[in-house]
Amino acid sequence: MKFLSLILKSAWRSKRRTTLTILSVALAVFLFASLRAVLDGFNAATQGSSSTRIVTIRSTSLIFSMPSSHANAIRSTKGVEDLTWANWFGGIYKDPQNFFAQFAVEPESYLRMYPEIILTPDQKQAFLDDRTGCIVGDGLARRFGWKIGDRIVLQVGIPTYGTQDFDFTIRGIYKAGGNAVDNQSMMFNWKYADERSIEKGQVGWYVVKIDAPDHAPQISSAIDQQFANTPYETKTDTEKQFQSSFASMFGNLNLLLGSIALAVVITTLFVAANTMAMSVRERTTEIAVMRTLGFPAQAIFFFIAGEGLVISLIGGVIGALLAWYIADGEKLGISGGFAPVFAVSPANAVLGIGISALIGVVAGTIPAILAARLRIVDALRRVA
Amino acid sequence: MLIELKNVKKAYQRDKIEIPVLDGVSMSVAEGDFLGLMGPSGSGKSTLLNLLAGIDQPSSGSITIGGTTISGLSERALAAWRARHVGFIFQLYNLIPVLTAYENVELPLLLTRLSKKQRRDHVMTALEIVSLSDRAGHYPRQLSGGQEQRVAIARAIVTDPTLLLADEPTGDLDAKSGDEILTLLKRLNREFQKTIIMVTHDPHAAERASHVYHLEKGTFVAA
Repeated sequence: MKFLSLILKSAWRSKRRTTLTILSVALAVFLFASLRAVLDGFNAATQGSSSTRIVTIRSTSLIFSMPSSHANAIRSTKGVEDLTWANWFGGIYKDPQNFFAQFAVEPESYLRMYPEIILTPDQKQAFLDDRTGCIVGDGLARRFGWKIGDRIVLQVGIPTYGTQDFDFTIRGIYKAGGNAVDNQSMMFNWKYADERSIEKGQVGWYVVKIDAPDHAPQISSAIDQQFANTPYETKTDTEKQFQSSFASMFGNLNLLLGSIALAVVITTLFVAANTMAMSVRERTTEIAVMRTLGFPAQAIFFFIAGEGLVISLIGGVIGALLAWYIADGEKLGISGGFAPVFAVSPANAVLGIGISALIGVVAGTIPAILAARLRIVDALRRVA
Repeated sequence: MLIELKNVKKAYQRDKIEIPVLDGVSMSVAEGDFLGLMGPSGSGKSTLLNLLAGIDQPSSGSITIGGTTISGLSERALAAWRARHVGFIFQLYNLIPVLTAYENVELPLLLTRLSKKQRRDHVMTALEIVSLSDRAGHYPRQLSGGQEQRVAIARAIVTDPTLLLADEPTGDLDAKSGDEILTLLKRLNREFQKTIIMVTHDPHAAERASHVYHLEKGTFVAA
């Protein structure tokens, strides 16, 4: 502890340079933690998936629809216990910037399929009874200050739903009971969307409840075989695979975001290492004086390495706190849909701080070794 | 004898050329002595002082101080020996600019097992000896050159070392401040029985020493 004050005073000798280094480490940790939060958002939906739910989409792509008549054929497949369906609506609430996910769903079977959507019995009944009613997640309701009974209007975002605005009444505010659903989405009656559609009876995807997780491959195959060589061929996967394939629509996110985070961390490492090297160079005489006073080379090494560690750790903590405060999907209004969870987890914050510590140690090690190896007489002669 | 040097040689290697600096120096210094080392630039005075301080090693010969042959010690052992037995006073004071006078004087004590209170007592005593206890909270930039050198002397004596080594301690000071520093060194020698070896160019400064040795081309010569 008696050396800590010495390390802190040395670290703070060039306030501007130290502040800039702290900020660069803070920015690196902020970006790292935020990017990890985005990845976690996608992964959380995948991990929260049920093993007894499988999803059927068009074999070509999720963005193409298929007939609602597929429902009967799927329902009659051996091993299928229940079925529901949904469409992506893509409406606009006042301004395109107010994006949130809206799903046109078959209400009764959808709520049965997703027990993770938690509603009071009264709200559930009110939703089922109102063709133009909708339910919204509690996070979404907080974001726009909605309450039960409020009327909201969505402009049509996808031309297939015509040109007329859709009016809704909020009948329920649900809580999310797991990562398979988020609290940032809106659901309303599929029939309401379908009756205004240019092409009637179209479904985006079917969600199928199966009798046992082990039967998923056979049931998926049986479903797809029924529609083989038709204009509407299907592709059925487990809910987990479906979530993963949705994430993969954005490309290899892990690689992309991981590469960005790595580039930022390495750049910051060079910045921090340069700062430490400059700092040590400026203090050659001081280091020689301390050695003359009897400080062993090992102590000098730990002072310099400790200084790098302290500077980086301060930056890391600031960056992690900023990321935790700012990178919150609910606060920013950008979570929902297929990436339900978007926030910096404590594990990511700690990992970010750990990376900052690593930056500090690596950046400080080489200057610390050079300082410890300095020959006292040479260092004194350089200035004297 | 506190210090015994036997046939000490020192040469530096510059590229492939060997430059001899000390050429078989032998000397003895008694405890409580105040020795002046004089000589022209490049005569080897500072090199000799560095060898006595244990911050450099001779090419050959032996140096024994207080019964310890320091010319054979490892880097780590030398550092520990310096911390305990040597106080070094530099020409340019060499205080740490981000530390106060108090903290600069306390620096060598951080290597000891003394408690915070004990360290405080030692630091304040050293600052009182150099008449700067009222400037304990000042940073080096807030002190005059003479005051800075007095803080450096307090730092050198705070561990109560066996030997004080001063490398041109008045070289960067005006005449009045220089005189005060010399008076202080003389007082440390007389009142506190500190053995002092001082390198100087200044004959006036050398007058304060009990004995003066002259170095030329790496060997002692008669004055």
